[in-house]
Amino acid sequence: MIGNHIRIALSSLRASKVRTALTTLGIIIGVTAITLVLALGEGAKQAVGQQINKRGSDVITVRPGKVERNEDGKITGYNLTAAIGATTITESDLRSVQDVPGVSKAAPIMLITGSVRDGETRAKSSAIVATSPALKDVANLELRYGQFLTDKTNRQTAIIGNELAVELYGTENALGRQLTLRNQPFTIIGILKKVDHAAIVTGFDYNKSAFVSLDAGKSFNQGIAQIQEISVIPADQKQSDQVAERIENVLLRNHDGEEDFAVIRSDEAVQIANSIFRLLISITTAIASISLIVGGIGIMNIMLVNVTERTREIGIRKAIGATNGSILSQFLIEAMLMSLTGGIIGIALAYLIAIFLSGFVGYLPALSAPILLIAFSVSLFVGIIFGIFPALRAARKDPIQALRQLP
Amino acid sequence: MAKEGSQEPVIQLQRLTKLFGHGDATTVALDNLDLVIQKGEFVAIMGPSGCGKTTLLNLLGLLDTPTHGEYLLDGKSAEDLSERQRAKVRRNQIGFIFQSFNLLNRMNIIENVTLPLTYKGMRRMKRLTKASELLKTFGLQEREYYMPNQMSGGQLQRVAIARALVNNPSIILADEPTGNLDTKSSEIIMKELSEIHQQGNTIIMVTHNPDLTVWADRIIHMVDGRIDRDSKYPQLPEDENAKRPLNHYSRSTVRTTKGNS
Ligand SMILES: Nc1ncnc2c1ncn2[C@@H]1O[C@H](COP(=O)(O)OP(=O)(O)OP(=O)(O)O)[C@@H](O)[C@H]1O
Ligand SMILES: [Mg+2]
Repeated sequence: MIGNHIRIALSSLRASKVRTALTTLGIIIGVTAITLVLALGEGAKQAVGQQINKRGSDVITVRPGKVERNEDGKITGYNLTAAIGATTITESDLRSVQDVPGVSKAAPIMLITGSVRDGETRAKSSAIVATSPALKDVANLELRYGQFLTDKTNRQTAIIGNELAVELYGTENALGRQLTLRNQPFTIIGILKKVDHAAIVTGFDYNKSAFVSLDAGKSFNQGIAQIQEISVIPADQKQSDQVAERIENVLLRNHDGEEDFAVIRSDEAVQIANSIFRLLISITTAIASISLIVGGIGIMNIMLVNVTERTREIGIRKAIGATNGSILSQFLIEAMLMSLTGGIIGIALAYLIAIFLSGFVGYLPALSAPILLIAFSVSLFVGIIFGIFPALRAARKDPIQALRQLP
Repeated sequence: MAKEGSQEPVIQLQRLTKLFGHGDATTVALDNLDLVIQKGEFVAIMGPSGCGKTTLLNLLGLLDTPTHGEYLLDGKSAEDLSERQRAKVRRNQIGFIFQSFNLLNRMNIIENVTLPLTYKGMRRMKRLTKASELLKTFGLQEREYYMPNQMSGGQLQRVAIARALVNNPSIILADEPTGNLDTKSSEIIMKELSEIHQQGNTIIMVTHNPDLTVWADRIIHMVDGRIDRDSKYPQLPEDENAKRPLNHYSRSTVRTTKGNS
């Protein structure tokens, strides 16, 4: 019986193709918008989560700026502006952190603004990072050629990321080549293997950066270390919480009790990123939903016109034995077919657009089953919600009045 | 009279009344109508426009409900039936034929004929076979996949008859089936109906054309929502109706409202 209803509905829809297509278009746009927002949002969330996790789940990060925590120690807010603004972390903080019991390695990250050049060729969007030998272990860096910074390497040496090497020298093997950082000459002693994670808040790309010693970094900055981040690995992963607490206490003493820094564990970093994304995703989804509601109203509108136009048809169908229920199903199925078709096309379209966009945004949109399911059920839901009223109207038509209507 | 007593009548109407509208605008479409129709009768109903013929057919076909009075279909009261059950009776026991054919224009001929079977829940292949066989008996097998707008009125009405018959109904209700047709097509339609009648079907047909009543075996004349003459009971005095006490709707009221409509 349901097969018959679908066939009846399909033949009615086919009979007015343009109208059906335009109505479906409204749903296509709505579902595309929602799916796109969800897929891009979820993709971004996953990408960031992966990047954080790849650095090792046991990394503790010290950053400028203050986090707010509730009584259970859960992060409830993070002052992003402070994190990006002038840093409050000093070289003596670094030394204190290194001396905290239970700390295995601590690497500073000092971003230096300035050009990266090979003679006249200037690298695009590359960063200069002053750090310590410890970064190699802290960030899981591996070398393609040469070596990383050591305590013995001199100030004029640099290690560069894989993509930077190719960009400037046309080859990964740039060992021994000269590099100009902020108009100072450096010799390349190592090239990194490709790294597939980025630094989270500091936001530089390992593959496009040049790494120099902290001393070299200071020389670019009137001898002062401007540390944006200290990444720490504890000796014992299980002690991570205690180590973080000790670091916090030591730094608090250094800063005369002023809490102008934050000690964040990597799972907390994921949590911060997630809460930011969740907020963004829900705002954009809400906006995208409006277009779907408009699409649904389009369906309701057209179905009401259909019911009025087909009053006589309803009368005939009832005369030859259609129950109110079958008339209701017929019109409801028509609405649902339109919204479902729109939904399926919309989902497909959203993924095409998302894949196209991924070239620009730098990560893959999430093609997850829950998103597919959400998009699919939302379109089904729209069909039912906006189709039920016209369908009820059709079902309740009095056959006598309906048959009296002129054809 | 003994002839009828031997079997249950298909249709029994007792003091059936149908009113339309409220208050001053009330129209009496059927006025305390009594009628018994036996299985296998071919009844022609005649009467001036607005006398309630279509209303009567709609009530017989369970498309409408009487304001009061009793309708027994196959001995069972139609009053207690739910909407669903009424639809089921329409689908299984009644075949409608309309003056304006009332085919669905967006569907081809064979789909139109199968429609009642669709609501019965019959499988598609079975439906198509059955409809195809039926259309063949009407000489329309070559037009199965035509659309209604590609066919003549006479052909359309034969399709409509096929649709009415496809469920093997016990009653055929035809409201001016030849009203939109020329003499020649009318004749063809009447022959079809006559054949159906000869196969034992009950047919109730409304017509304005006195020539067509020759096909029927019983002629009923209606005036103002009641039966004026019935060829089956010619012995009934002409003024029998008049002797019945007038109901509270005066004849003049009926006429006035009818004049307005
Ligand atoms: N749905 C309705 N609403 C209001 N009045 C109606 C309705 N249907 C019929 N009537 C009125 O009931 C009376 C009988 O109508 P009906 O259609 O049964 O007449 P008829 O005998 O079939 O006429 P015709 O020969 O013109 O088809 C008329 O006065 C008509 O105006
Ligand atoms: Mg009529």
